Amino acid sequence: MVLAGLVLLAPAAGAGGEDIEEQLRAVASGLRCPVCQNLSVADSTSELALEMRTLIRDQLRAGKRPDEIRAYFVSKYGEWILLSPTPRGVGLLVWVLPGLGMLAGLGGATWALRRWTRRSTPRPDAPVHGATLARIRTAVAGGDLSGPLSAEELRHVEALQELELDHRAGKLSDHDYAELRALYEARAAAALNSSEMPRPTAQPDRVLVVDRVPRRLGPTPRHWRWVAGGVFLVGFGMAVGIFLSGAVRAREDGGSITGDPLVGTGDAGAREDSLDLRTLLERGRRALEAQDLRRAIDLFTRALERDPEEPTAHASLGLILLRGGHPNRALKAFDRALARAPSLPQALWGKGLVLHESLGRTAEAIRTWETLLAQDLSREDRERVTAMVAEARARIAGGTAPAENVAPVTR
Amino acid sequence: MAWKRLLLVFGIGAPLIAVLAFGFTRDPREIPSPLIGRQAPPFAVRLADGRALALADLRGRVVFLNFWASWCPPCRAEARALEASWRRHRDQDVVFLGVNMQDREDAAREFLREFGITYANGLDGGNRIAIDYGVWGIPETFILDRNGRITYKHIGALGAETIHAKLEEALRGEVSRREGKGDYRSIR
Repeated sequence: MVLAGLVLLAPAAGAGGEDIEEQLRAVASGLRCPVCQNLSVADSTSELALEMRTLIRDQLRAGKRPDEIRAYFVSKYGEWILLSPTPRGVGLLVWVLPGLGMLAGLGGATWALRRWTRRSTPRPDAPVHGATLARIRTAVAGGDLSGPLSAEELRHVEALQELELDHRAGKLSDHDYAELRALYEARAAAALNSSEMPRPTAQPDRVLVVDRVPRRLGPTPRHWRWVAGGVFLVGFGMAVGIFLSGAVRAREDGGSITGDPLVGTGDAGAREDSLDLRTLLERGRRALEAQDLRRAIDLFTRALERDPEEPTAHASLGLILLRGGHPNRALKAFDRALARAPSLPQALWGKGLVLHESLGRTAEAIRTWETLLAQDLSREDRERVTAMVAEARARIAGGTAPAENVAPVTR
Repeated sequence: MAWKRLLLVFGIGAPLIAVLAFGFTRDPREIPSPLIGRQAPPFAVRLADGRALALADLRGRVVFLNFWASWCPPCRAEARALEASWRRHRDQDVVFLGVNMQDREDAAREFLREFGITYANGLDGGNRIAIDYGVWGIPETFILDRNGRITYKHIGALGAETIHAKLEEALRGEVSRREGKGDYRSIR
């Protein structure tokens, strides 16, 4: 029937076939595969994604529009199924926030940069007071000065005179000359001013010049902070890179994508060969608590290789078997555990559960649990067992259904 | 200057951390079903015993609809509870219907034999019914009231107590506000 439909459609589709495949890809790549970790329906190889692609193709062939098909999946799985959420309600945030964030970042960066540039590079041509300049020019021209020049001032004046000579001799372009002269004059003015500083007649603008020129010459004292910040950032980035790549490993079937340093699980096989029995049991218990049944089975089986009658391992495996729907094998495991340790709480609890829930031997279950109640139990566990016994008694009396409770008893 | 820094930390940093912390409380793999409270999608299915069954034929009775596969451990774990519940409620205007998906037919039949399942089970070859119900984890269970409205959805293994409580609710026509979750489930 389906084949006949395909044959009939084939000639009609002919040219449209490619079109349909293209539309299929467009729709499927926008849908999230429900059973994978963040793969699109187009990219996933899971059976469900395959069926979904077939469904989309069928719908396209039947003349449905891509947005109708998308709406169909949304009506079944909710907005969750869309890889890019519709820009409405909370979904709008996802679309708007990155843009806003980028704008804020750009704005912040521009603002910060402008502040830094203003602070760290003082204006190259600090204003030189007219009177000072005139004094320098007079000195350069060989004229008299009101006071004797210090050695430094003399050096500046000589440098300016030499510059003038070079310019006249044609060794310097007009532009270079003007630039260098301004620079030398500024330095000379600074020297002159600083020598005049202590004088009580110092004018306010001199203070300004003195304040500016040394800043330009020496590095600002804050530089080390930026260097330290940079070193810290590089170090932090490297640490994050190393830790994350170490912590995330390829996802194995049913496994977790995280492991190693961050959560303390991860490459189990390599290191567990050398573990002693107690560590194996302890890790198995933790795996069982974390619902990592595959790992728990592995660890307890290893424990049994060390000691074939280890009661805790038998009891734990029994609980796993019970959850997996193998009550008879679970019962065997519990009995083996109890043969070595007749009062092991885990085994007594599990045996009671099997007898009560799966095998219908409620009277025996009650007896088992009563043995358990004679043990030293935590208050929580005691309450749970007492409740189960009460329920089992009620069941014997009135024939009600069993409750579901397969959690392991931990001491 | 100090208040500016405070504003920066509490105005931007704190909400950001709050959003991230909220994210950690959620399970990104959880797919909340939009179907609860809505009319159940109709379907017809071939049963394991060869008969055909349409959902519409079950109108007027409460339907316990369970999607399962033989390879899925939680399905094994709940199988006995389901059969026991069926025996308990079969006189009560309640129909149990299993839908086998993502499976091989012989494996599915073996499963039914192993657990002695006596309620009807359909074989959903192309998984179309499952997709129509937005199924993503196995097992998933839907409970439909007498009018064919979905009153409850449970993902993961079910216990007899929950089945009983939810069937009673459906018989009274009550819709659960949230879907239920078993402590473990399979996806493939």
